[in-house]
Amino acid sequence: MRRWLRRKRAREIHEEVESHLEMRAEWNQREGMSPEQARAAARRQLGNAALLEEDVRRVYALPWFQTIGQDVRYALRGFRRSPAFTVAAVLTIALGIGASSAVFSVVDRILFRPLPYPDAGRLVSFGMVAPSADKNEFLIAENYVRLRARQTPFTSFTSFGFISPCDLTEQNAARLRCAMVESTFLPTFGIQPMLGRNFAKEEDRPNSPKVALLSYGFWKSRFLGDRETIGRSILVDGRPTAIIGILPPGFELFNLTPFDLLIPEAIDEAHPGNGRAFRVFARLKPGVSLEQAREAMQPLFEDELRTIPPEFRGEVRMVIRPLRDRQIADVRTASWTLFGAVLVVLLIACGNVANLMLARSASRRRELAIRAAIGASRGRLLRQSVTESLLLAGLGALAGCGLAWVLIRFFVAVAPQGITRLDQAGLDSRVLLFAIALSIASGILFGLAAVVESPPAGTLAEGRAFVSSRGLLRHVLIAAQIAASLILLSGASLLLRSLWNLEKVPLGMDTDHAVAAHFVLGGAYESETRWRTFFDNLETRLQRLPGGAAYGITDSVPPFGGTRSSPYFVINVEGRPPYPQGAGGMVGWRYVTPGYFAALRIPIVRGRAFTEQERDAPEMPIILSQTLARRLFPNDDAVGKHVLRTGSGEWHTVVGVAGDVRNNGLGEQAGPEYYVLRKHVPDDTFRNRAPGGGWRAATVIVRSPFQPQAVAALLRSTILELEPAVPVTTETMRERAAQLTVRPRFNALVLGGFAGAGLLLAAIGIYGVIAFLVSQRTREVGVRMALGATPSTVSKLFLRHTAAWTAAGTVAGLAGALAATNMMGTMLFRVNAHDPLSLFAAPAILFVVALAAAWAPSRRAAHIDPVATLREE
Amino acid sequence: MADTLQGTLDLLILKTLHAGPNHGFGITLHIQTVSQGLLRVEEGSLYPALHRLERDKLVKAEWKTTGNRRRARIYALTAAGRRRLGEAEQNWAALAKGVGRLLRLA
Repeated sequence: MRRWLRRKRAREIHEEVESHLEMRAEWNQREGMSPEQARAAARRQLGNAALLEEDVRRVYALPWFQTIGQDVRYALRGFRRSPAFTVAAVLTIALGIGASSAVFSVVDRILFRPLPYPDAGRLVSFGMVAPSADKNEFLIAENYVRLRARQTPFTSFTSFGFISPCDLTEQNAARLRCAMVESTFLPTFGIQPMLGRNFAKEEDRPNSPKVALLSYGFWKSRFLGDRETIGRSILVDGRPTAIIGILPPGFELFNLTPFDLLIPEAIDEAHPGNGRAFRVFARLKPGVSLEQAREAMQPLFEDELRTIPPEFRGEVRMVIRPLRDRQIADVRTASWTLFGAVLVVLLIACGNVANLMLARSASRRRELAIRAAIGASRGRLLRQSVTESLLLAGLGALAGCGLAWVLIRFFVAVAPQGITRLDQAGLDSRVLLFAIALSIASGILFGLAAVVESPPAGTLAEGRAFVSSRGLLRHVLIAAQIAASLILLSGASLLLRSLWNLEKVPLGMDTDHAVAAHFVLGGAYESETRWRTFFDNLETRLQRLPGGAAYGITDSVPPFGGTRSSPYFVINVEGRPPYPQGAGGMVGWRYVTPGYFAALRIPIVRGRAFTEQERDAPEMPIILSQTLARRLFPNDDAVGKHVLRTGSGEWHTVVGVAGDVRNNGLGEQAGPEYYVLRKHVPDDTFRNRAPGGGWRAATVIVRSPFQPQAVAALLRSTILELEPAVPVTTETMRERAAQLTVRPRFNALVLGGFAGAGLLLAAIGIYGVIAFLVSQRTREVGVRMALGATPSTVSKLFLRHTAAWTAAGTVAGLAGALAATNMMGTMLFRVNAHDPLSLFAAPAILFVVALAAAWAPSRRAAHIDPVATLREE
Repeated sequence: MADTLQGTLDLLILKTLHAGPNHGFGITLHIQTVSQGLLRVEEGSLYPALHRLERDKLVKAEWKTTGNRRRARIYALTAAGRRRLGEAEQNWAALAKGVGRLLRLA
C-alpha cells in the first residue's frame, strides 16, 4: 500500500514537472523562439529534472530513512543478481569473525586474563624439580620448614599439601576431595573466606581439633547455602570436624582442581621429616623482582640440597616462576599456536574480502559511470556503496556470531581435561565487537575504494574489454593467501604426523576388551580382617564373572599415573656388591595378583607369571620388566636369581620377565619396572606406603569378550554388592589409553580445522579472481578463439596463470612455514619441525586445491562462443 | 529570526496564492512580474517548497485543466495557510522594520 502510494506520488511529481516544462516552453514560444529552442531553453532553465523530482519526493520521506531503505533494497537486489559473490563474501566474513572471536575468547582466558587473586603478579611458585618425579616443583617437608624460616624475599611463604579423597561418614555418606593447606595459604593468595574465618595457626598442628573450610559449591549442594552451617560439626573420615568458614564462590586453587573441603595440613614442625611433599607458593615483597628472589633463594636451596638423598641430588634443580606460568605451562605453546593460526585465518579472510570487493567494483565501473551520467550525485553513489558493504559485513557478522558460538561449544566439548579455564570460556563480547568492527571497517574501506576512484568520463567509452589496473594487487593478495595457507597446512600436517606417531607407540599391553574399576574402601576397612574378607569375597565373585574373564587386582594401572617407585640402587642382586648410592634413577613397581598379566595381555617373555599358590606361600616371587631385567642381568638369564628390592627387605626370587609397558605416557622410553605379588595377607610395605587412599585403594582389571561397557557395568555392580557405600569409577582400558593422545589430538584437530578453513578461503579467493578474469577477458578469449585457439589452450592460459601465482605464494609460504614450525617444537613427537614430508605435502595439497578452484572458471572460458562474444559488442 | 528568512519563499508562495489558486509555473511568473523582475524563484526550490506546504496542509492541490486545455496541478490556500500568511506577513514586517533600523543606525 505504501509502496503503491509512493509510486503514484512519484508519477504525479513527474507529470507536474513535465507540465511545468511544457508551460514554460509555450511561454518561450510566445516570446518568439522556435518550438525546439523553446523546449530546450525550458529544460535548461529547470536544470536536472531527475534531481528536482528526487528533491520533491524527499519532502514526503523521513529524510534519510527512506533512501536507506532504497539503498538496502537496491543492494539486496544486486546481491540476488550475483549470488556467488554474496555467498563468498558473507562466508568469508563469517569465517573470519567466527573463528577469530571463538579462538580469542578461549585463548584470552588462558593467556591474558588476570588470575583471580589480588595482586596476582607477585605470586610465585617455588620448589625443586626432579625429572623422575614430577614435572611441577615441590618441596619435602623438612626442607620447606627450614626454607620458610630462612627466606627473605617474600612477604609470605606457604604450602599446599595435595588433595586426597576423604569420606563424609554421616547420613548420606559421600566421598569428598579434601585439599590440605597451611594456615597461611589463603592469606598468601589474598583470599578471605566469604563466611566465617580461616584456620588459626594453632588449628594447623597435629592432634589439634579438626576444622575445615567448605568450598562454595559444596556448601551450596550439601548444606543448601545455609548460613548456620558455620560452627556445625561434621564427620570426616569418622572424626568430628568443625566447619569454620565458607570460601567465596569464585575461589579456585592454583591448579584449578576441584575440591570440597579445605583442611589444615598440620605439619609436625618439630619432626617434619616423614617424607611429606608440598607445593610451595610465596608472595614477593614489594619492589623485589623475580630475579632478585631467585638470587636470594639459590644459596639457601644449595644448603638444603645436602639433606636431600644423594640419589636425587644430581638431577634436582631449583625452580621459581610466576604462578601464571606454572598454571599455563602445558598449554602455552598450544595457545600461542592457536592464536597465530587464527590471525593467519583472519588475514586470509581480509585478503578475500578485499579481493572480492575489488573485483566487484571493477566489474561495476560501467554501472557506476552510467548512474553518475544520469544524475546520481557522488554522495549518493558513495552512500549506496557503503550501504552495500555494511550490509555484507552485517550479514557476515551475524553468521560469524553464530559460528563463534558453535565453535566455542565445540572446543569445550572436545577439549581435553586440564586445558586451563576452558570451561569458563564464553563468547567474549569485546572480542566479538572488535571482529565485527574490523569487518565493517574493511567493508567500508573497500566499498569506498570502489567509488573514490570514481569512474572517469571515459569509462563508458571503454566498452567491455578494459583490463583493470588493479590486477597486480589482486594477484599479490592471492599469492599472500596461498603463503598463509601454506603455513597453516604445514603446521597442521606436522601435528597430524606427531599424532600418528603417538598412536603407533606400542603400550606393551592389549587395551581391547579390558575394563578397569577403581575404588577406595572407607575408613571401616582399616581393620585388616574386614579388608581381607572384602577382597576374598570380591575375588570369588570375579572368578565367576561370565565369559571366562581374566581378572587382576592391582594398585596402579598403566599407561600413566600413580605407580609406586623406588631408587634403582637399592635393588641388590645376590652375590654382587650393592650399587653405589644415587646411581640409576628410579624404578616403578606395583602389587599385582597373578591374573594381572592375562587381564592386560602383558606378555611374559621369560619364565612364568605368578601363581595362586604363591599368594599364601612364604616365598617372595618377583617379576621384572624386560628393561629392568636387561639392566640387572645384562649377560645372563634373570629367572631364578635372587634380588633384594629394598635395603633391608627379604630376598625375592625372579620367576619371570614381563614385556615392557608404558607407565609414564608416550613421550619417553618405557622405564624399568617390577611386579610384586599381592598376597592374601598384606606385607608391611603394602600396609604403610600405599599411594592415594592407602591400602584401601584398589583397581580391578577384567578382560572379557563381551562388550566393554556392559562388562564395566557388571564389574561395578559386583563391587557394589559387597560394599554399597563405596564410590566406584570404571573406564575401559581403551578409553584410558586414549587419554594419552587427547591433548595432541585436540591440537591437531584445531590446527587442522584452521588449515582447512584457510584453504577453503584461499580456494574461494582463487575461484573468485579467476572467474573474474575470465569474465573480464571474454572478448579477448573470443578473439583468440576466432583466430584459432582451441578450448584447451584457453583453459590452460588461465590454469598457467593460477599456477604461476600459486608458485610465488608457495615460495613465500615455505619461508614462513619454516619459521613458524620452529616454534612448535614442544608440541611435536618424533617429527622434526622441518619434516620434509610435511613440508612437501603442504605445497602439493595447495597446488591441487588452487588448480581445482581455477578449473571451473577456466572451463567456462574454454566454452566461450567466439561468435556470440564478438557480436555482443 | 532565521526561520523568518528561510520562510521567505513560503511567504512569497502563500501571498501569490492569496490572489487566487495557481500552478507552479504561474507562481514563478507571478512572483517575477509583480516584483518587476527583482525576485526570481528557481524551480529547484519552488516545487519542494510547494510540496512541503502541501504536506503541512497550508495549501491544497488538485489537477485541473487550465484555460489552454492543459492539465496542471493547481495549488490553493487552505484556512491554515491563510492564518500562516497573516503571521508570516507580520513577522516579515517586523523583520523589515528591524533590519531597516539597523541599517539606518549602523
